[in-house]
Amino acid sequence: MFLHIYLYRLKCIIRDKQNVFWTLMFPLILATFFHLALSNISNMESFTEIKIGIIDNEELREHKEFTEIIESVPDLFNVTYVSRTNADKLLEDGTIEGYIHFDGGLKLFVRESGINETIIKSFLDDYMQTTSTINTILSQNPAAIQDGLPDSLFDRKDYLKAGSAGKSEPNTVMNYFYTLIAMTCLYGSFSGLKEVTALQGNLSYQGARMNMAPVHRAKIITASMSAAITFQLLVVSTVLVYLIWVLKIDFGNQTGYIALTSLISTVTGVTFGTFISSVNRKSEGVKVGILIGTTMTMSFLAGLMYDKMKYIVHTKAPVLSFLNPANLIADSFYALYYYDTYTRFFSNIALLCGYSVLFGALTYLAVRRQRYASI
Amino acid sequence: MIIKVNNLVKRYDELIALDHFNLEVREGEIFGLLGPNGSGKTTAINCILSLLKYDKGTIEIYGRPMAPDAYDIKRNIGIIMQNVAVFDELTVYENIDYFCGMYIFDKQRRRELVEEAIEFVELDSFRKFLPKKLSGGLLRRLNIACGIAHRPKLIILDEPTVAVDPQSRRKILEGIRKLNEEGATIVYTSHYMEEVEEICTRIAIMDKGKVIASGTKDELKGMINSGEKLTVEILEFNPNILEGVGSLPSIVSVDYNENNNMLVAKSRRGKNNLSALLEYLRNNQINVGRIYSEPPTLNDVFLEITGKELRDHV
Ligand SMILES: Nc1ncnc2c1ncn2[C@@H]1O[C@H](COP(=O)(O)OP(=O)(O)OP(=O)(O)O)[C@@H](O)[C@H]1O
Ligand SMILES: [Mg+2]
Repeated sequence: MFLHIYLYRLKCIIRDKQNVFWTLMFPLILATFFHLALSNISNMESFTEIKIGIIDNEELREHKEFTEIIESVPDLFNVTYVSRTNADKLLEDGTIEGYIHFDGGLKLFVRESGINETIIKSFLDDYMQTTSTINTILSQNPAAIQDGLPDSLFDRKDYLKAGSAGKSEPNTVMNYFYTLIAMTCLYGSFSGLKEVTALQGNLSYQGARMNMAPVHRAKIITASMSAAITFQLLVVSTVLVYLIWVLKIDFGNQTGYIALTSLISTVTGVTFGTFISSVNRKSEGVKVGILIGTTMTMSFLAGLMYDKMKYIVHTKAPVLSFLNPANLIADSFYALYYYDTYTRFFSNIALLCGYSVLFGALTYLAVRRQRYASI
Repeated sequence: MIIKVNNLVKRYDELIALDHFNLEVREGEIFGLLGPNGSGKTTAINCILSLLKYDKGTIEIYGRPMAPDAYDIKRNIGIIMQNVAVFDELTVYENIDYFCGMYIFDKQRRRELVEEAIEFVELDSFRKFLPKKLSGGLLRRLNIACGIAHRPKLIILDEPTVAVDPQSRRKILEGIRKLNEEGATIVYTSHYMEEVEEICTRIAIMDKGKVIASGTKDELKGMINSGEKLTVEILEFNPNILEGVGSLPSIVSVDYNENNNMLVAKSRRGKNNLSALLEYLRNNQINVGRIYSEPPTLNDVFLEITGKELRDHV
């Protein structure tokens, strides 16, 4: 029985072309659009090794530790040793992005200024600072070098962050995509709305027929909601796959947690729709309008259209950022990618679960009643 | 007793839609609920089905109180709403299968029943069609199939023939009779008295939320004072004739239509009304052409009780 209702409801949702367009095609189009608009900024998110040249000369050979250190970060730099004239040529035709010349001190030659150039420069700055640190340490405590001190001083991640600091911050770029996913999850509300309409006697004639079925209300409700959640999960997965594999946007590699976030966010979206649909008797068109309005506002406040918005809300009205499901969803992906600890992630997830339970319970209370004041 | 409704009162805010409404439907009958638009037929049906809250009264089906969670009662009811209630995304077959599946768990049995229902409403060549590709009449037939596929013992049809072409209407009426012959009890609402008179074994006439009369059609017609409607063609008319006919004891009212030269007289209930009229005309040497006599209709019943026509046009 559950399965019978579930499968048929799923069929109905999937065949609803308008619903499929808005919940699936629209986010995909928006993602593509974002990608085109932001691809310069987000270049560094799909980071590839920076090709650099080093002028091979006497002075370089005197600084053996430099060669060692630069080769200790192979995933950051792809090094070619060249002569000065060759280096200029390579720089000119773009084979390398800069070259380093020991010429009475460390000198960096670059062609333009960009993220990669900033990374090379900050690496060199660090090197110079660190060598003096190491010299100091060595003179005071020669044993320290055996504890792997230099390693920790040159960490690839630091340079990625340093590089990004120069340009627009990468996390705000990523945030566009995180809020896009958040919006997609919340668009589950449209299917939620559709399902409640289809099972409520005072919302549709089909619902009245469903009311006459000798099937327990809770069963119809859970089967219908499961169908909506299944559909929206398929949508969210498709959008995620598109972002990660086609647009090459890095969501990190914590697949399990990403799936968990998607699931809970989708449930939040669907229950939000069932809630809005079940607590008022406005026409379906009006309710769709309400859903578009609220999900757009939430996504906007989470930074969908303007990257500083998230920050503004967070500083000016911090409560709002906890109340806004779109922000909680986007921030969960953000926390997964940028944080090593899970405190922030799980507090977001807990709040989202809270919302789902709240919306779900309110829906059930409104929908389980079967005798209506008017039809 | 299949359905027993006692003093049902239902209000929509100020409007009293059902005013101490009473109803009894017995096993095996085709029960007609006849009333003009807005008289409360749909409201009554929805209350009986526990879809609507009501303010007062009791409703029993199969001798047990009806309630939203009376699933064993619901299992035996088939409902065809006044408005088509099918899913736009599902085909004809799928729609019937979906609703049938709410009642029948066995897949094989369900398939048989769905096939029978499709055959019953003659939608075989449309089984893969989506509802929006169906004409109004076909859609009504699909709506009926969705309500009866599980072979309920009690079938309630709320104006199933509204906005249906004559051919589909005929099929629907035949179908209802067939379902009844196969053992189902039928409750049928309509504001077409001809339909009700044609297929119903017992009838309740509603007006303003009340049942104003009920019984078999003969019983209903026996309740009123009017007898047949007599129509006589008179080619050489003079006003004295109207006066003379009007003064006959068996005639209630008389009228003459100059356009078709027809004299229309309504008679009192009783015997030999027509011969009395003809005798008067003969005695006064008035030549007559065509003659009709029509028995009273449910409209006359409605007219006499409420003082208004059941429908504006007859
Ligand atoms: N949801 C509602 N809210 C307020 N009034 C209503 C509602 N539904 C029906 N009514 C009123 O209740 C009365 C009875 O309506 P109902 O639909 O039961 O009549 P009906 O006999 O089925 O008419 P029809 O032949 O047009 O279907 C009407 O006056 C109608 O306007
Ligand atoms: Mg009605």
